[in-house]
Amino acid sequence: MWLLAALARMHPAAESQAEDVESLRRLTSGDQGAAAGLYDRHSRALYSLILRIVGEETEAEDVLQEVFIQAFRQAGRYDPSRGVVAAWLLMMARSRAIDRVRARRTRFEGRTGEVLLNDLPDSHPDVTSAMLGDEQTRMVRQALDELPLLQRIAIELAYYEGLSHAEIAERLEQPLGTVKTRIRLGLLKLRGVLTEGQA
Amino acid sequence: MSLHEELKANAAGYVLGGLDAHDRREFEAHLAGCAECAAEVASLQPVVSVLATAVPQVTPRAELRERILGAAAGLKGADLDGGLKTRPYTVRDRQVSAAMTWLPLAAAIVIAVGAGVYALRLQRQVGELQARFDQAQSTTAVLAAPDLARIDLQGESVAPDARARALWSRSRGLVFTAANLPPAPIGKAYQVWVVTAQAPVSAGLLTTDPTGGGTQYYMTPADIAPPVAVAVTLEPSGGVPSPTGERYLVGMP
Repeated sequence: MWLLAALARMHPAAESQAEDVESLRRLTSGDQGAAAGLYDRHSRALYSLILRIVGEETEAEDVLQEVFIQAFRQAGRYDPSRGVVAAWLLMMARSRAIDRVRARRTRFEGRTGEVLLNDLPDSHPDVTSAMLGDEQTRMVRQALDELPLLQRIAIELAYYEGLSHAEIAERLEQPLGTVKTRIRLGLLKLRGVLTEGQA
Repeated sequence: MSLHEELKANAAGYVLGGLDAHDRREFEAHLAGCAECAAEVASLQPVVSVLATAVPQVTPRAELRERILGAAAGLKGADLDGGLKTRPYTVRDRQVSAAMTWLPLAAAIVIAVGAGVYALRLQRQVGELQARFDQAQSTTAVLAAPDLARIDLQGESVAPDARARALWSRSRGLVFTAANLPPAPIGKAYQVWVVTAQAPVSAGLLTTDPTGGGTQYYMTPADIAPPVAVAVTLEPSGGVPSPTGERYLVGMP
């Protein structure tokens, strides 16, 4: 039993992950009934992230729909070696939500799409992502609240607004080097919380 | 600073997805041969994944479940894994959107031609875009500003349901819209603050309607320092030079 408990602590989402993988397998073989389980397990987390990024309920609902439809269609492309299903879905949600925000920004600023597309930061970094447990998430969230305000703002602008370092520097009217340093220091501090938590 | 150190400074930006295309390619090329940078990237990724869940958790409306699962049921086998067939946001959409005066018509044509299934949803969007367009006209000066910044505010613990949005341009001022604020007691008023690294600067008072909503336009000093936050406090009815009362709404750019 202790082993199971330890495993559960290490992989808090392990059970959900097994169900998710099974749902994706069923979807790939054409069983659309498997969509409901995925929706019920992830809609809240995805919707919350999307809403945080697009800032408006109607638009957040539309993006959530796009993300799920994309996930249902591309179920066969999910690669478990690159991270859990929850992380895969969250990454898609962030990308799509940021695309929306960028489209809106382009509209307001009257910049042409071609120019913008060339200097867009990449909202789809090709990374493996692990998901952390509730306790670790809570600690990082708290650490985020405790970061010096300008470090936190720079990190939030990068992650939730999809701004590049250069755009953040412009927005905060600070030198590019300062912005890079703030973001790095902020992330290192958040990482420190995790390392302590594991010790 | 060596090239390696210079590039390592980009590791955090890389995992946050904040590098522009050129810097990203350069960093990825470096990453392939640099164990130290690869380790830094790997160690920062779990932190970034937490950011995805470190947001206020909100349950979507129950109707949405039906809508999305309904759309899923309409997917045919041929749609599966054959690449993304949902209509993506394209450059052309953005240009169409820029022509605000005929946007509703254009959107209507898109509905008729391309997306029968989504007709109802798009119709609703057209209505909303029209409403947004009407609203935008009254604050065009701010919204059209080249330096427009948007700041969303969340209710503090005294008013957890309150929400607000500030649209701010250094050159053209601040448009502030709030919703769900509790009625201000007699003798009290809501005051809007632009918080800079030096000090909070009063934008002005905010009057709310019976639903707790209100929209107001404020001029802000052209030489104001970059705002690090926008906040709303409850103050004596004439307003005060610097905040004294309880915070109701806070948001950061």
